[in-house]
Amino acid sequence: MRLSAAFVTCVLVCLPVHAHGATAAGEPAAAAWKLSGFGTVGAVYASSRSADFTASVLRADGAGHTRAWSPDVDSRFGAQLDVGLGDWSGVLQVVSEQRLDGSYRPELEWANIKYQLTPDLALRAGRIALPVFLGAESRKVGYTIAWVRTPVEVYGALPISSSDGIDTTWRWSTGAMLHATQVFAGRTNQDLHNGLRIKAEHIVGLSHSMERGALGVRLSAAGARLNTAIGQELFAILRGFGPQGGVLADRYEIRNKRVSMISAGMSYDPGAWFVTAECGRTRTDSLLGGGTSAYVGAGLRRGAFTPYVGYAQVRADVPTRDPGLALEGLPPPLAAAAGQINAGINDYLATIPVQSTWSAGLRWDAATNIALKLQLERVRPREGSRGTLINNQPDLRPDHAVHVGSVALDFVF
Amino acid sequence: MRAPPISVRRLLAACALAIAAADASAELVVVVSSRSPVGPLGADQVAAIFLGHASRFPGGAQALAIDQPLGAPQRDGFYRTLTGKTPALLKAHWSKMVFTGRGQPPREAGGDAAVRRLVAENPAMIGYIEREALDPSVRAVLVLP
Repeated sequence: MRLSAAFVTCVLVCLPVHAHGATAAGEPAAAAWKLSGFGTVGAVYASSRSADFTASVLRADGAGHTRAWSPDVDSRFGAQLDVGLGDWSGVLQVVSEQRLDGSYRPELEWANIKYQLTPDLALRAGRIALPVFLGAESRKVGYTIAWVRTPVEVYGALPISSSDGIDTTWRWSTGAMLHATQVFAGRTNQDLHNGLRIKAEHIVGLSHSMERGALGVRLSAAGARLNTAIGQELFAILRGFGPQGGVLADRYEIRNKRVSMISAGMSYDPGAWFVTAECGRTRTDSLLGGGTSAYVGAGLRRGAFTPYVGYAQVRADVPTRDPGLALEGLPPPLAAAAGQINAGINDYLATIPVQSTWSAGLRWDAATNIALKLQLERVRPREGSRGTLINNQPDLRPDHAVHVGSVALDFVF
Repeated sequence: MRAPPISVRRLLAACALAIAAADASAELVVVVSSRSPVGPLGADQVAAIFLGHASRFPGGAQALAIDQPLGAPQRDGFYRTLTGKTPALLKAHWSKMVFTGRGQPPREAGGDAAVRRLVAENPAMIGYIEREALDPSVRAVLVLP
């Protein structure tokens, strides 16, 4: 991961020297550099004291249990350096937001070199954010979305979000319909926390966008082989329980597991109002579970004000409870150990989200690069799941709604 | 006691004049170089080029959009008429494009004369100017109401 990032950085710096031959006629021969950035300053309140509401599972904490008001749910800062020279261009983007270890250490979000083979065909090498769902790759730029954050039910549990590799985008048209077809392949190796890593290999995927006037549609599919050591102590003990332990470990251990994500989304935005709807499905064949998610949101634009409402839900496509090891016939000390292991498995399975959320909010475009948003949500984990909440405490009441209030200031420059 | 109605009437008359003037100046034409082979374009085709969704003219030739400066009435009117987007929505659109590495907004030129000069010199370019600024160096491919 570091190596490819270092490579792209080197190429970006060398580009102006080596790409002179590719300069298009009539364009200045000097490389064009551009620095831009984005960010969100936010605060979130959650009514529950038994778990934290957060925007992603890859966070240390959020609002609710850790503190009633949290700045960590939505606050982030991103900076991007673009360089262009004729048909070559490069992009380097770093984003600082709260991580699993609680720090705000910046992460390299984008780092790639693009070669525009023809006006319609582009090739890229380096790191890209995965183009899954309607806007997974721009979800961190709060200014570009109407709501405070993309729905956590849909975007909160992506098993992987970036790919180090290559991709190509081909633009074409059928009558007034404009198409962009993107194909990508790569791998990723991400540091989660204290040396715990999540590795995805053989990432391949396709994203197809269609635009016609106010209508936009996107279909995407991606798959990979996933490896991570999450729960490995549990699985090591489980395998000590003979064949039935082995079967359970094989079912849930994240070792060379096939993951897949598919989605279909549309938006219609004639200016005075808009509606967005999307559904998707993720599968991991492991303790990360799998689910079907959907949301629909709509808003009205009245001058600088955009009131909006939305509904989102996710349900599990796999059982979120498992009877685990059979305790009959085990000597008492072993039965006690097996019981603890079964509880451990079910603690993991309870993190597979089943949840629905109603939301309503107001966006105020205070200036052409600043938006202030207020949003109220009723988040309801269901079927004994903790939903998308984290740091759940034993006193978390199942199927009990959590009320969330958010204020966010988004900016771009 | 009589003064206010008169001044209100004057104010209304002044407003009507201002609106008429704004209307006249708001008539925009989308132009290409007079040397360009590009024929008349539809509003959707022009919108696709200026929003970065299309990089070619319908005939297949490369298209490079030229914008008026940020805050110029021509620019605001052009996008409002063509796409229904306010300056804030356009900023959001281009932020999405830029921060996902998909493209950069059109190059800007300072006013009708500067746009006309750039477009006249390069058959790949397409811009928009007020109708009164038309001259034989450029050709209108779309008239915006």
